[in-house]
This record gives sequence, C-alpha cells and structure tokens, in this order.
Amino acid sequence: MLKTFYVAWREFTSTIWTKGFITGVLMTPLIMLVVAGAIARTKNLKGPRLIGSIAVIDESGRVAQGIKTRFSPEFLKSEKEQLVKSVDQTAKEGADKIGLSEDQAAMASGIAKDAINNALSKADLTIEELPPTIDLAAAKAALAAIDIHEKNRPEGSPPPRVAIAVVPAGAVTPSAEGVYTKFELFTAQKLDFEIQGRIENKIAAAIVDARITSDDRIQRSGLTPEDIRALVKEPDANTATLTKEGEKKNAGAAQFLLPMAFMLLLLMSVMTGGQYLLTSTVEEKSSRVMEVLLSAVSPAQLMIGKIVGQMCVGLVILTLYSGVAVASLIVFSFMHVLDPILLVYLFIFFFIAFFIIASMMAAVGSAVSEMREAQTMMTPIMVIIMLPWLLCMPISRAPNSLFSTIMSFVPGINPFVMMIRLTGSEPTPTWQIPVSILVGLISVVICAWGASKIFRIGVLMYGKPPNVRTLIKWIRMA
Amino acid sequence: MPDAIVTRRLTKTFGPKLAVNSLDLNIPTGSICGVIGPNGAGKTTTIRMIMSIIFPDSGELSVLGKASAVESKDRIGYLPEERGLYKKMKVFSFLTYLAKLKGIDSPAASTKVANWLARVGLGDVARKKCEELSKGMQQKVQFIAAVIHEPDLLILDEVFSGLDPVNRLLIRELIDEQHRDGRTILFSTHAMYEAEQLCDRILMIHRGQKVLDATMPEIYARFDPRTMLVQPIHPDAADSLRAIDGVIAVDPVDIDSFELKLRDGTDPIDAVRRVAMAIPARRIELKRTSLEDVFIDLVQATGDQTIKREDLRTNTTLEQPVHA
Repeated sequence: MLKTFYVAWREFTSTIWTKGFITGVLMTPLIMLVVAGAIARTKNLKGPRLIGSIAVIDESGRVAQGIKTRFSPEFLKSEKEQLVKSVDQTAKEGADKIGLSEDQAAMASGIAKDAINNALSKADLTIEELPPTIDLAAAKAALAAIDIHEKNRPEGSPPPRVAIAVVPAGAVTPSAEGVYTKFELFTAQKLDFEIQGRIENKIAAAIVDARITSDDRIQRSGLTPEDIRALVKEPDANTATLTKEGEKKNAGAAQFLLPMAFMLLLLMSVMTGGQYLLTSTVEEKSSRVMEVLLSAVSPAQLMIGKIVGQMCVGLVILTLYSGVAVASLIVFSFMHVLDPILLVYLFIFFFIAFFIIASMMAAVGSAVSEMREAQTMMTPIMVIIMLPWLLCMPISRAPNSLFSTIMSFVPGINPFVMMIRLTGSEPTPTWQIPVSILVGLISVVICAWGASKIFRIGVLMYGKPPNVRTLIKWIRMA
Repeated sequence: MPDAIVTRRLTKTFGPKLAVNSLDLNIPTGSICGVIGPNGAGKTTTIRMIMSIIFPDSGELSVLGKASAVESKDRIGYLPEERGLYKKMKVFSFLTYLAKLKGIDSPAASTKVANWLARVGLGDVARKKCEELSKGMQQKVQFIAAVIHEPDLLILDEVFSGLDPVNRLLIRELIDEQHRDGRTILFSTHAMYEAEQLCDRILMIHRGQKVLDATMPEIYARFDPRTMLVQPIHPDAADSLRAIDGVIAVDPVDIDSFELKLRDGTDPIDAVRRVAMAIPARRIELKRTSLEDVFIDLVQATGDQTIKREDLRTNTTLEQPVHA
C-alpha cells in the first residue's frame, strides 16, 4: 500500500514539476486571460479622432440631402440616444430572461453604452456634395494620395477628404426588370473599418429613404420611411421550454455552451492524465528502468500507483479549470445557471472515464517499446475521444431521445454522454443516472482487470509490438 | 539452515523455444554462486523466474523459504540485466525513491543513499540528473539500488558487463564484502575469471539445462588438470620431458618453458614427481583447470560441437582478467 503510494507520488510530482506541464496546463489559461484582457484594453483605447469630409456625387439628385442629414450633429445625437435606449431595453429583457439582477443589468448596459460612445466619437465627418460633371478620375487620384492621419499632414491644413461616394440614378430608380444598381464608395488608405462601415450604412439608409419617398404608391398611402422601417422590422421571439416543473426560460446558445464546456473539461482532464500515463510507461520501458522497479514492487502495484498518480494530475486540472469557471460565475453572480450537484457528477464521471482511459493507456504503454509504436494501438482510445465531439450536438439538442438514452449506457463514452445530458436543457430521468454510473463502474473493473493482465506481461516484452490476438492471449494467460 | 533458493523441475518455454528445461537448483544460504553460460542459455530467464518477474510453465521454487519472491521482495536485492535509470531524475532522488520502494523509511533512506554514494566515489554527482552520468557511474548507481536495503539475498544479472577494469575491481570488492557480511549471492556473468575469483559455487547452464552445479573445490577435484607448465634450467630438455611416463605432448611456450599434456588417467601428482626427478627445473606448475575449459568439455560431452570460446565472452577486450 505504501509502495503504491510512493509510485503514485513520484508519478504525480514528476509530471507536475515539468516545464511542459506548467506552461501547457497551468500557464495557458493564464496567458489566455492576459491576452484577452489586453485585447479588451486596446479595443477601448481611444485612437485619434478622425476629422474629414466625404465627397458625394449624387447622380440621382435625391440622395445627397438624406446623406447630409444623416451626418448632421442633430441626427448623430438622436441616433446615439436611440442606441442607448435599445441597449437599456435589451438589458432589461436579458434580466427577465436569464434572471440578472438590476445591478447586473445596469452594469451590462453601462459597458455597452461605453462601447457606443467610443464607436460614435471616433470620427467627425462632414459631407461635401460634388456635381456629377466633376472629373471622377482626378478626384480618385487625389484621394489615393491623401494621408488621413492628422499628425502626418502639415499643421493648419484643412480636414482631408476620406471617401468619395458615387450614387447612380439606378440606385434609387429601378430598371425595367426591377433591379437596383449598387452605389460606389472609394475610401482613402488606412480608414478605420468601423468608420468605413458606418459611412456605408448611412449612405445605404439614405438611398433606401430616397427609394421610399420617390415611390408613387407609398406617397399615395401617406407612409413615412420610419413607418415602413417599423413595418418591415422582423420581431424577436420570447422562447421558453415547457417542463413538468413549469416554464423554463431558454438561455439560447447557453443551452449548448454548458454541455460543451462540461464535456470539454472532462475530456481534457481525462486525456491529459491519460497521455502522461502512456508517455511515462513507454519511457520506463524504453529506458529499461522497468525491471529495476519490478524488483521492488509488483506489476499490479506499479500500475495502480501510476494510474492513481496520473489521476491526481487529472484532478488538479479538473479542479483548477472548474474552480476558475465557478469562481468567475460567482464573481459575475451567475452561479444560478450551474446546479452544484453537476460538479459532483462531474467528479464521479471523471473517475469512471479516467480509469477506463488510463487502463487502456497503461496497457498500450506496457505493450509497446517506443512511443511511435503506440500510435497504431491507440484506435480504441481515439474512438472514445472522438465520439463525444460528434455526439455533443445531437445529444444536447435532444437530451432525452432514445438515441441519447442508449448512448448513456455504452461503456467508455457514457461518462461524456451523461455529462452532456445532465447539463442540458431537459432533466435526465432519475433512474438513468445510477444505472449509467453502474455501467461505468463495471466497465472500469473489466478494463482495469484486462489492463493489469496485459501490463504484467507487456512490461518485460521488447521487440515487435503485439497484435490484438497476442494481447487477448496475454489477458487469458494466468 | 535451509537453502536460500531451491527449484525443482523448473521449466519455461517462449513459444516454440524451450528456455529453461527441468532445472533443479539448490543455493545454500551464505554461499556465493555464479551462473555461467553462453548468450541465450537461459540464465536471465532462470533469474527472472526466481524473482517472480516471469512465471514458470511448470516446476516449483522457493526463495528464502517462501513460495514466491514477491512475498520476500524487501529481503532480496536484484540487479536486472535490463537495467536503466529515470533519465531526468536526480541521482539522489532516484536512489531514495528505490530505497523507499524497498521498504526503508524516508529519513533512513536519505542517510543510506548519501553514505553509499560517498563509498563508491559518487558523492559529488548526487544532485546531477541520471542521464548526465557516464555508463560506469550509472552501473554503480544501479548496484547501490540493488544493495541499499541490506537484503539477505542478492541476485545480480550480468553485473560486470560494460564496466572498465577499475570499476570491475570495485564491484568485485563490493560483492565480496556483501558475501562476507553473510549474504547469499547469486550472479550470472560471462566473465569466467571474475566467477572463478569470487564464487564458492558454480552453476553452468547450456540450452536451458544444468550441465554443472558444484563448489569450486569439487570442480578442481573433478576436472583434474591435464596440463603442466615446466621451466627447465637447461633449455634443451624437450626430449627428456617427452620421455617421461604419462606425457603425451610437449609444446614450447614463451622462450624457455614447455607445456606438457598428460595422458588421461595419469595421476598429476605422480607426474609432477617424475618431472622433478627427470630434469632440473626452475618451475614445475600444475595448471589449474579454467572454468572455460570445464565448460567447453562439458558442452562437448553432451555432443554439442558448436560451442566456441567466443560464445562465452560478450566482449573479449572487456572480459580480460584483471589482477588485483
């Protein structure tokens, strides 16, 4: 017992205290956090405000005024007010839907408003209308030579032209076939893509306004462009799932996010430990330290010790990642989306999945002499790893379908399937949980038994890696 | 005192190959026994079965009075033929880890490891990684791993292979010391010279079968020397030597010596007397039979003419005798 502990402890420490583990497993999430933070910071950084003009060549003669209006300070102000209003609305709806408190909703809308302010104050653009007779080629050539950044231009020079828009008559009046032509927008180099997008949108909106106001039918009906826009806006749905317990508000994408997150967490912690187990077993064989170890411990003690040691590695990863996730949920007061019992199941199914994968890894590691040879024997393990990926969507979409229920009792993949179902949108029938756990435990016993047989013989075999028939023979040997 | 190792009709096959064939062994407690034989003779298989690392197809064995070495693993020190170290582990941690696996508690393990490293002159590499050591240093580390827990029985497989003469001598002294401390030692080797120097018992295996199992004195008595070395005072003594009763051949060796071959059945002591009477000699020496000769005799007696002297040596340059 003590020997098994020593083996486990060595396995654990020699895995944890390597650069690979520390950088790969511990630092990666940290680095990602830092990078994400840095990106968020730079996004909020206010760049220099762009001051400039947009030249409009209006061949239709009906759009230029609309564009001017849409770039006027009054319009910009009301546009901003409307955006802020809609953000408040969304936050309020969000609060109803997924149960945010008033404070959280206020915080969310505050963040959104900041973003709006930032975006809208990026540029101060005026419109200059040019006659359609102007030399477009010369104007384009001049635009190509412009540097729009103020610091690169001589002091006191007038604001530069940043774009030329050409609105053909066909953009407002359709052809005989009912087809509208596109408008053209030429921009100077280095124009911020957000500003360019806004220019495009405003011109497009002005063209649509011109189409509406110039249409005889609409004029006769007395509808304004605002009326038309309100009419054609597609409504949003208020979705809810009906369960026996009552209405359950749909969290939308979160319905897939939670099962996916749990499955990934399980898969990652199981695979990391399993992979290390394979590597260390092959290393002990290829460095010929195996027989030295076997003079002190029995093959069973060695195998159990190694599995337990790597299980601790997997547990470290699982605890760390799920801990970070739970901590961030608590910080953002989102904990209610996560039933704590799910964490208990996560650990139960981790043990089942890990022992199955680890037994197979130990068997493969003991049977081969080099890492390269292990690849060919990894097929059953790869199947167990790949299937949850393929099953994640269909099962989280219909957690209680016959297919999902059957998959919950397939040895090897059932821990992953159960985790997807348990975190899904519909409650799993109570009886299926213990039955699936039982199936898992039975498969653990069978896997560990078979693996210990293969391990005992495999660890001292060198040379050609065994085929499946040989492995079965080893299992059947006393 | 019961024998440390007893085997009865021990048999092991690997597929079609009969690796060990109905082997009976008795290794008395406190003895130092060498297992010799060419490559593939079944030495390592026998040792692995004794260590319960592999299991016999049939036959019985008892190790330190138990039916399996598993039950007395902590009382056995084992240096396997396939030996290695954790490359990335520090020498000191590796040895304390193995000491703890062999049942020594943590503080005692550190002290013992430090003492042993100092004894074999590896004190200054304790904090180095195992992969940084030379091959000879690694061998010494592995030897320490085998004896660190003061076992009653020490089993050493190919203990001298790959060592330079200086380290062979060091290991020989360490083994001798273990023997003097009363431990039973079983070791396999190609190095006949070391075996002759160290052992009080020899076990010869050929093609999985025991061809000899005897104490050194028994071997010397049974395989009485057929060769005599004579250094006459007068160099032209060849004819006189040839005339002596029982001498069938006289071959000159070196500048002034002759090797005399004796007829089967001739009492060597009488032959010495007759030579001394026949000629004045500076030296008359009855050459002691070498294990190599004995082995070849025995194998050829079984009708196997294929065995060559080279088969008994893995690396002839390294297996040259070292005189203390």
